[in-house]
Amino acid sequence: MRQVLAIARKEVMHILRDPRSLIVAILMPLMMVLLYGYAIDMELRNLPVAVLDYDHTPASRDLVERMTSSNFIVNAGYIGNRAEIEKGFRRSHFRAGLVIPDGYGRDLARGMDTDIQIVIDGADAATAQAVENYLSAVIAKINRDLLQSRFGDRAQIPVEARTRIFFNPELRSPSFVVPGLTAVIMIMICALLTSIAVTREKETGTLEQILTAPIASYQVMVGKVVPYMLIAAIDTALVLIVGRLVFHVPMEGSWWVLAGYSLVYLFISLAFGLLISAISKTQQVAMLMALLITMLPSLILSGFVFSIASMPRVLQWIAHLVPATYYLRVIRGIMLAGRSWFPFEGGVMLLMAAGFMTLAVKRFKSRLD
Amino acid sequence: MHTILYLIQKEFRQILRNKFMLRLILIAPIMQTLVLGHALNTDLKNVKLAVADLDHSRASRELVSSFFASDLFRPAKVSATPGDIEQIMVRDDADMVLWIPEHFGRKIAKGENAVVGIYVNGTNSSLAGLATGYASAILRRQNETIRRQRLDANPRMAAAVFEVKPVSRFIYNPELETRYYMIPGVVVLIVTIISGMLSGMAIVREKEIGTLEQLLVTPITPLQLIAGKTIPFAIISFLDIGLVTVFGILYFRLPFAGSVFLLSGATLLYLLVTLGVGLLASTVSQTQQQSMFTVWFIMIFAILTSGFFFAIENMPPVVRAMTLVNPLRYFLSVVRGVFLKDITPMDAMPDLVPLAVIGVIVFGAAVARFRKRVA
Amino acid sequence: MNGNGWAVEARELTRRFGDFTAVDRVSFQVRQGEIFGFLGANGAGKTTAIRMLCGLLAPSGGEAWVDGIPILTQPERVKLRIGYMSQKFSLYDDLFVLENLEFYGGIYGLSRKQIVQRSGEMLERFGLADYARSLTADLPLGYKQRLALGCAALHHPGVLFLDEPTSGVDPIARRRFWEMIYDLAESGTTVFVTTHYMDEAEYCSRVSIMVDGRIAALDSPEKLKAAQAASSMQDVFVNLVNR
Repeated sequence: MRQVLAIARKEVMHILRDPRSLIVAILMPLMMVLLYGYAIDMELRNLPVAVLDYDHTPASRDLVERMTSSNFIVNAGYIGNRAEIEKGFRRSHFRAGLVIPDGYGRDLARGMDTDIQIVIDGADAATAQAVENYLSAVIAKINRDLLQSRFGDRAQIPVEARTRIFFNPELRSPSFVVPGLTAVIMIMICALLTSIAVTREKETGTLEQILTAPIASYQVMVGKVVPYMLIAAIDTALVLIVGRLVFHVPMEGSWWVLAGYSLVYLFISLAFGLLISAISKTQQVAMLMALLITMLPSLILSGFVFSIASMPRVLQWIAHLVPATYYLRVIRGIMLAGRSWFPFEGGVMLLMAAGFMTLAVKRFKSRLD
Repeated sequence: MHTILYLIQKEFRQILRNKFMLRLILIAPIMQTLVLGHALNTDLKNVKLAVADLDHSRASRELVSSFFASDLFRPAKVSATPGDIEQIMVRDDADMVLWIPEHFGRKIAKGENAVVGIYVNGTNSSLAGLATGYASAILRRQNETIRRQRLDANPRMAAAVFEVKPVSRFIYNPELETRYYMIPGVVVLIVTIISGMLSGMAIVREKEIGTLEQLLVTPITPLQLIAGKTIPFAIISFLDIGLVTVFGILYFRLPFAGSVFLLSGATLLYLLVTLGVGLLASTVSQTQQQSMFTVWFIMIFAILTSGFFFAIENMPPVVRAMTLVNPLRYFLSVVRGVFLKDITPMDAMPDLVPLAVIGVIVFGAAVARFRKRVA
Repeated sequence: MNGNGWAVEARELTRRFGDFTAVDRVSFQVRQGEIFGFLGANGAGKTTAIRMLCGLLAPSGGEAWVDGIPILTQPERVKLRIGYMSQKFSLYDDLFVLENLEFYGGIYGLSRKQIVQRSGEMLERFGLADYARSLTADLPLGYKQRLALGCAALHHPGVLFLDEPTSGVDPIARRRFWEMIYDLAESGTTVFVTTHYMDEAEYCSRVSIMVDGRIAALDSPEKLKAAQAASSMQDVFVNLVNR
C-alpha cells in the first residue's frame, strides 16, 4: 500500500510539472462539451427548398405557404426553370425543388386531380427522405382539407395518432449529446493520459529501475493509474455539471449511482489506455492507436449517433465490445429515465475492467522480462 | 533542388522500412472505410416496437402488420399493456409502443375516426425523431389504404373526390443509400488523420533524435527541409485517397460522378492546410507527444464541426460562423460533390477559394515560424 | 581562405543565456591542417562555442571566421565548407549504413558519381565495408561513431567540427577513432574537436582549456605540461580548474 502511494505521489509530481498536458486534459473536455452541447442539434430544420411555380395562383401560393409554415422547411426562393434545380443541387443551395405545374389552381377549382413534382437532392439520403416525408404530409393535409370542404365530416382521416415522447419530451439535443459526449471524452482523455504516463517512464528507462525494487508490477500499474483516475474523474464531473447547469440536461436518477458506474468506466478506459501503451513500440504508435481505437469506435459504434440495431451483424458484435456502448446505456438510463439498476451493463463493465487491467499488467510484465 | 529529392528518398526509405507505418498507410485506411462504411448508417432499422392491441380486430391487426411490413420496426420481445408502457421503455425492452384501444376496428368500419397512441423513448432524440417520422409515414399510407377502401365502397363519392398527387423524384443517389453520403466523409477523415499526424510527428522526431541539428549544419535551407518533409506525406495522402476511393467504388459501389482532376486539386489545397498544421505543431513542441496532442486537439474540433457527423445547418449561428474557417468543411463539401454529384470546378469555387486561402495562410505561417526558429 | 590564412578564428566570441555567460570573450586561431583540441569540463561552454562556429547559434558578442568566411554575416557559406559530428551522432537508425552516407552526400550537393565513389572510399577507410547494408541501429557504438565521422567528412570539408565524438565509447574504439582523425588531418582537413577526456588531449597539435566560459590556457600539450610542471594533461587540467 505504501509503495503504491509512493508511485502515485511521484506520478502527481510529474503531472504538476507538465502543465501543458494537464491544461489540455482539463480544458479540452470542458470546451468540447460546451461547444458540442451548444452546436449539435440533431433536429432537422430550416431545410431550404426552391419553388418553381408555373401557376401563379392563390392556390399555388397557398401550397408554398403551407410548406414553410413550420420551421422545417424554408423557402429558398423562386427559380425560373428546371435547369436551375440541378444547378442548385450541385452548389448545395437547396435540398429540393417544388414544381407546381401550370393549371394547378384551375384544376383544383374544377375538382380535378393534379400533379405536383418534387425533385429532391438524394445525396444526403436521410435528410432527403425526411424532406419527402414532410412534403408528402403537407400535400396529404391539403388533400384532407379539400375533402373536408367538399364532404365535411364524412371525409375524416381514418386513423389519427396521439404521440407522446417519454424522457426528454422536447427531444432536446443536449440531453442526447451530453451523455454520449461524456463517454467519448472520458475514454479519449484516459487514453491520452496513460500514454503520457507510460511513455515517460519508457523513454527514461525508469520503469525498469522501479521494477528492480521489491514492488510487484500490478502495484506499479495501480500506483500509476490512480492519479490519472482522479484527473479523469474531475473531468467527468465537470462535463456532467456543465451539462446540467448550462444545458439543463435532466438528472432523474441518483448522482451516486452515476458516480459509481462512471468510476468503473474510467477504470476500463485507463486500463485500455495502458494496454495500448504497453503494446505500442513507440510514442507515435501509442497515440495513433489511442485515437483510432478509442475515439472512433466510441463515437461511431457505441450507439451515440448511429443506431447499433441498424448496423450489419458483424459490426453489432464489435459494437458490443466497445465499453462506451454499455456506459452510454447506463448514463442515459440514469440521467433521462431515472433507472438505477443495470445488471447486464454493470456486469459487463466490471468484467471489462478486470479483463483489460489484467491484460495490461501481463503485457507490461512480458515486455520487461 | 536535387537536395529535396535526397530528403524525400530518405523519408520514403524510413517509411517503407517501418512495418507499422506501412500498415497504417495501406491497411488502416481500407479497414476504416470498410468498418465505417458499414457502420455510418443513418437509416433506421430494427426499431423495437411493442404493441398493446386492446382490440384484436381485423383492422387493428392490419395496422400492426403494416408497421412490421418492412425492416424498420421489429417486434419487441414483450407485449405491452397500457399500465407499464413507461416501464417497458425504462427497461429498454422497447423503443416505441403502439397502443390500439378497444373498438378501433368498429370505428374504422363505421367510417369514423379512431385514435391510436404512439409512445416513443426520447432518450435517443435522433432515433426518436426518425422513428416518429417513419411511424407517421406508415400511418399515412394506412390511411390512404383505408380511404381507398371506403371510396371503393362508395363509387359516387369516389367520382367526386380529387386530390393533389405528389410525384417524387430523387436526383443523385436515387437508391438513397446513406453510406454514399458518409463514405466521402471517411475519405476526408482518413486524409486528415494521416497527413496531420505524420507531419506533426515528422519534424519533431528529427528534433528528438538529434538529426535536425545535423541537418541544420548542412547547406540545406529551411525551405528545402520543409519541402523534403511535407512532399512525401502529400504523396502518401494522395495514394491513400486513391486507395480508399477505388475500394469504395469496388466494394461499396460508391458512385463517382465528378472529375478526378477536381478531386486532386481540392486535395492538394487541403493538404496545404493539414501539413501546415502538422508543421506548426512541430515548431511549438519539444517532444512528439506534445506535437501530437496539439494536432489531435485541433483535428477533433475540426472533425466534429465539419458537417460530417452533424449538419452544419442545424448549428447555432455562432458555431456556424466558426465553421467558416474550418477547412474540413470545404473539403468535405467538394469531396461529397465529386462523388455524388457531377460538380464542375465552377460549382466548387465557393469551397475551393476559402480552402486555398486557409491553406496559404496556415502553411505560410508554419514556414515562417519554422524559419524563424531555425535561422 | 582569407588573407590571414587561419582555418578558424574567433575574436572575443561571447554567448549569453539570460544573465548566464556560457562563452566569455573567447579568442583563438586555428591553423590549417591542425588538430585543435577544445577541452574543458562539462558545462564549461565547449558545446556552445562549437555551435556558434557551425552557425547553429548566434553569438551575443564578438565575431568568428571559418575558412575566412564570417559566421555572423554569411553562415550559409560557412556551412558549405564545414562538417559536423554531434554528441548524439545524429544518424538515422532505420537506414542502412550506405543509405546514411548517400543521404548526407546528396544533401551536400555531391553528384551521384561522387557519392558512389566517396562512399566506397569512406567505407573502406573506416572499416565499415562489411556493414554497408546493415541497419544503422544494429551497429555497435564504435562503428556508429565511425559512420558519423564518415558522413561528416564525405564532402571533403575544409574544417571538421567534432563535438565529444568519443562519448561513451570504449578505449580501444576511441584509439581507432583518433587514428581516423589523424588520417583526415593528414589529407589537409582541419579538425576542431571538443572532449572532456584529458588523455585525448595528447593527440592534438594544440589544445585550449576552457574554464567557466573563458580560455584558461592555449598551447601544444608538451608546452602546457612543461609550463605546469605536470606529467599528464589530466594534471594540467586539474591545476587550471582548481586555481
